[in-house]
Amino acid sequence: MTQLPWSTSARIAWRELRAARTRFVFVILAVAVGVGSLTGVRGFSHSFRRMLLREARTLMAGDMTARVFALPDAQQLQVLHELEQQGIVRTWITETVTMASSASTPDPLLISVKAVDPKAYPFYGVVKLNPPKPLREALDAQSVVVSDDLLIRLKVKVGDKLHIGGQDYAIAGVVVSEPDRMTGSLNVGPRVMITREGLDRTGLITVGSRAAERYLFRLPATGGPSIETVRAILKAAFPEATIADYQETHPIITRGLDRATTFLSLIGLIALVIGAMGVGSAMHGHLQQKLDSIAVMKCIGARSEQIIRIYTVQTLMLGLSGGLLGAVIGVAVAAAFPGMIAKYFSIDARNAWDAWPAVQGIAISCLVTLLFTLPPLWSIRTIRPAEIFRRDSGPQTPQSRKWSLLIRGAILLGTALVAATLTEGSMLDALRTGVIFAVGLGIGLTLLVLAAWLFLRSLRGALRKAPKNLPGAIRYGMSNLYRPGNQAQAAVVALGVGVMFTLTVFLVQQALVNQIRGSAPRGMPNVFLLDIPGPQRQAVADLIQAQPGVTSAPEVAFSVAAKIVSIDGAPIDQFAVGDAGRRFLRTRSVTEMAAKPPETDILKGSWWKAGDPTPQVCAAEETAQVLKLHPGAVIEWNIWNHTVRTRVACVERTESVRMTARFEFLFSPGQLANFPSVFYGSARVRPPDVPGVQRVVYEKFPTVTVVNIADVMQIVEDVVQRIAMVIRFISAFTILAGAVMVASSIAGTRFRRMREVVILKTIGATRQSIAWIFTVEFLALGTVAGLMGSLLAAAFTALILKRLLEIEFHVDWVAHVGTVGIAALVAAGAGWAASFRVLGRKPLEILREE
Amino acid sequence: MIQVRALTKSIDTGTHRVDILKGIDLEIPKGQFAAIMGPSGSGKSTLLGLLAGLDSPTTGQVLLDGEDITHLTEDEMATLRGRKIGFVFQSYHLIPTLTAEENVLLPMELAGRSDLGRARELLDRVGLKDRFDHHPVQLSGGEQQRVALARAFALKPPILLADEPTGNLDSATGGVVLDLLRAMNREQGATMVLVTHEKALADSADRCIVMHDGLVVSQ
Repeated sequence: MTQLPWSTSARIAWRELRAARTRFVFVILAVAVGVGSLTGVRGFSHSFRRMLLREARTLMAGDMTARVFALPDAQQLQVLHELEQQGIVRTWITETVTMASSASTPDPLLISVKAVDPKAYPFYGVVKLNPPKPLREALDAQSVVVSDDLLIRLKVKVGDKLHIGGQDYAIAGVVVSEPDRMTGSLNVGPRVMITREGLDRTGLITVGSRAAERYLFRLPATGGPSIETVRAILKAAFPEATIADYQETHPIITRGLDRATTFLSLIGLIALVIGAMGVGSAMHGHLQQKLDSIAVMKCIGARSEQIIRIYTVQTLMLGLSGGLLGAVIGVAVAAAFPGMIAKYFSIDARNAWDAWPAVQGIAISCLVTLLFTLPPLWSIRTIRPAEIFRRDSGPQTPQSRKWSLLIRGAILLGTALVAATLTEGSMLDALRTGVIFAVGLGIGLTLLVLAAWLFLRSLRGALRKAPKNLPGAIRYGMSNLYRPGNQAQAAVVALGVGVMFTLTVFLVQQALVNQIRGSAPRGMPNVFLLDIPGPQRQAVADLIQAQPGVTSAPEVAFSVAAKIVSIDGAPIDQFAVGDAGRRFLRTRSVTEMAAKPPETDILKGSWWKAGDPTPQVCAAEETAQVLKLHPGAVIEWNIWNHTVRTRVACVERTESVRMTARFEFLFSPGQLANFPSVFYGSARVRPPDVPGVQRVVYEKFPTVTVVNIADVMQIVEDVVQRIAMVIRFISAFTILAGAVMVASSIAGTRFRRMREVVILKTIGATRQSIAWIFTVEFLALGTVAGLMGSLLAAAFTALILKRLLEIEFHVDWVAHVGTVGIAALVAAGAGWAASFRVLGRKPLEILREE
Repeated sequence: MIQVRALTKSIDTGTHRVDILKGIDLEIPKGQFAAIMGPSGSGKSTLLGLLAGLDSPTTGQVLLDGEDITHLTEDEMATLRGRKIGFVFQSYHLIPTLTAEENVLLPMELAGRSDLGRARELLDRVGLKDRFDHHPVQLSGGEQQRVALARAFALKPPILLADEPTGNLDSATGGVVLDLLRAMNREQGATMVLVTHEKALADSADRCIVMHDGLVVSQ
C-alpha cells in the first residue's frame, strides 16, 4: 500500500487551510491564549527558581542557614564552637515581634524586629540604607534602621527617637534593600533592624521567649569541611532545625513556589483545553463542510488513513501556530508577575522569562489540540463515497461505541499525562494530580455541556411560547442560536468555563476578605498578649480588665515547649506522617490544667481526678486522630532535656474560640511547673477601644506585645488579595479563550450568515436592522454562558466555603448580575470581531461565490 | 474486462424498500466504449457507482479484470480506484479549495506519484493552459468539467467511468467535453463506460446498454 508522505500531506493540508483562514485564525488565537498563560506562569517560575539558585548566597546572606525554634543548649553551643574552630564563621539573627511608639503618636505599633551583628551580617549582599552608609556604621546599641512604612505609620523621620521595650533608639536610616528579606520570617508589621546589644536592652528575649532564631554560616573558601559535612553536623545537633544551603533553593520558598506553579499551570492548562476544544469543534465544523470533498477524494483513490493524515497535519499546523504565538504572549505574561508580587519579592522583569517552558508549552499545545481533534478525525473513516450520488443513501455509518469510548479515554488519559508533567513534586504526586485534574475536568465539562444543553433547550422552548408580537430582531436573533452548523452549545460551554472559574475565585476571595474584616464571632478574643513576664501575669490581667471596652475577662495561659519522643514505645516518626502529622516531629506548646474547662467536651476516656499524681494528658480530637491516640496510650516526652512519660487519660474537643482550644495536649497538674514557660493571654475588647488598651499596657509593661487581631487580619487580607489577583489574572485567560471560541464558532457559520444577509437585503432589510439581529444573537449567547457560569460558580463557591473553609455562603447579586452582563458584552464583542465584514458585501458578490 | 453477475441493489428509505437494480448480468471487454442509456430512475448511475466500487451491491458480484471487488474494504477499493479507475461526475465535484492544477495533481499525490508537469500537460490538453491557478469558483461549468476530465486521466486508468458528463452543460460546451473525452480515451486505450441521455453519443459508442426499471433490456 502506497504511503502518503508527510510532506505531501502537509502540502495538501496547507492548501486547505488557505481557504479557511478566517475560521482558523480565531482557533489559533484561542490556543495561543492558553499556551500564553501556561508558558508565562512556568517561564516566570523557572526564571524565579534560576534566580533563587544564582543569587542563593545573597538571598541567604550566607553559605548556609539554620533556622531553629529555641535558644541553643550547652551541647548545641559546643557543636557551633567546634565548627568555628574549623574556620566556619557564624552570625546569629533573631526575629521577633513587639510594640514600638514615638513621641508623635501615643498609640504603639506592632513591629517586626530583626537583631543582627552589623560587623558580620550579611556575609553576602549588602543592606542598602538611606542616607547611604554601611550598616556597621549606622547601627549600634542605641540606634536602629527601619522600613519606610514605619516612618509613615509613627510619623517620624531619620534622626527621631523610637521607643521599644521601654528604651529609646535613634532612627539612623531607612532600609532600602535587605539581601535575605525573602528568606526571613513573615512580617506582621513595619520592620526594624537592631543590634544584639540593642535587643538585649529591650529585655524582650528571655528563656522560653517566642522568637525565630537563625544562624548564618560562611564556609572557608578553600580547605575546611564541605557543605554536606556541615549540614550533617548541624542536622544531628539541631534535629528540628530547617537547614538550607546555597546549592539549593530555600525549601520554604521552593515548596511555596512549587505549589503556586502547579496550581497556576493547571489553570493555564484549562485555558489551553478550552482552546483545544475550539480546535476540535472548528475541525468538526470544517470536516462537515468538507464531506463532499472527502467523498470525492475517496472516489479518486484516497484511503481513509491518507485523509486522516492530511487533516492530522492540519491540526498540528494549528496547534503549532497557536503554540508559537502563545510563547510570544507568554513573554508578556511572565513580565507581569514581578509587578504583582513586588511587595514581597524583588525580581527584575527583564529576566522573567525562560525558554524551556516555551518549548514545553508548544509541545503541549500540539498534543492537546491533537487529542481534542481525535473525534472528528476518526469520523473521517465513516464517510462513504456513495455520499456523492445519493443524499438519501442513508446515514453515515455511525462510529462504533467501542471506538467512541476508546477515543474519550485517550483524551482523558492524554490530558492527565499533560497535567502530570505540569505538576512540580514527586512522580507519585504528579500522577495523582494528573488523574484528579483529568477526572475533575471530565466531570466538570460534562456538567457544563449538560447545563448548556438545558439552558439552550429552555430558551428554545421559551422562544416558541413567546408572544407573536415579540420584535423581529429579537425573535430572529435568538433563533439564530439554533441555525444548522451553529456550535452554540460548544461556544456557551467554552465561555461558561471561563466565567465560572473567574467568578468562583472572586466570590471565594470576597468571602474570605469579608470574613477577615467582619466582626469576630461572639466571645472570640480580638486582642492577644505575647511575652507576658510570668511574675507579672496577674498584674497584666488586672490592668486589662480595668480598661474601658473590655467585654470579657482576659485569659492568661502558660505554655512549655515539649517534644514527643515515642508513643507506646514506638518512635514518633512512625506516627508523624503526611502534612498533618509532620508538625509532631517538632517541639509543641503544651500547658497544664487542673479542672476540666466547662467548654471542653470529653469524647473518650475521662478527665483526671483532683489530686491524682499520675502524669496524664488529654489530647485534642484532631491530634488524637492524626497520632492514633486512645486512652491508655503512653507518650514519652522530652521537655527541656528531661524525659516525662504521660498516660493519655482522654480525648477532648474544645470550642475553638477558647484559648485552651489552641493546645494539642493538656497536662494534668504538677508536671510542667519546673520548666521554663511563656505566658500569653487574650481578651475581647470593643474594636474602637483596642488602641487605648494597647497604649496603657505598653506604658506599664513595654515588653508585652499587644496584638490587635485587626492589624494582623489586614496583613492577611492584603496577602489574600494579592494571591487572588494573581489567580484572577491567570483565570482571566480562560475567559479570553472562551471569547475567542465564541468568535471561532461564529466565524464557522460565516457562509450561512452571508447567505442570510443576501436574502435579508434582497427583501429590504437595512444594515442597521441586520446588525441588530446579529447583536441579539451574540448577546443571547453571552447571556446564556454568563447565567450558566454564574450559577455553577455559586454552587462551587458554596461548596468550597462550606466544606473547606467553614464560611457561610451568601449570594452576591451584584457580582452575579454584573458577570452575566459582562459575559454578554464579551460574546457580543467576539461575535462582531468575527462577522463585521459580512455586512458590507454586496449581495451579488456573495451569490457569485455560490 | 468488467464483469457483472446477478447484481442487485436495494435501499431501505425507512418507510419502504426500493429495488434499484433487480439483477444485472453484463460483460464489457477490455478497450470497449460502452454507453448506458435509459430513462430517469432506471438505475444507470447506481450501476456505474457499483462498477467503481463507490457503493456495495445488495447481492451479486462485480469483477474487474477477474478480481471480485464486491467484498473489498473501503480502503482497498480506494486503492483500486486510484490504480484502475478514472471517474467523471455529472456535477464535476472538484475540490473547491484547490486550484485547477492542484485538483489534477491530487490523485497523483495520493498514489505517491506527484508530477506537476503531467498535471499541466493534461490541463493544456483540455484547453485550460491559462487556468492553472484558478479555483473552481473562477471557472465556468464547461471549464470545471474539463478539469474533472484531466483529473480522471491523471493516472492513465485502464477503466474510465463517466456519469452523464455533459448533463449540467449546454449542448455546445457538452459537445466540446465529449469530443475531448473520446479523444483522450482513444489515446489511452481505456475501457470506457459512459452513462448518457444523448442518443447521438450512444450511437457513437461500440455498444449501447439500455436499462429500464433496474434491468438491462438490451445490450
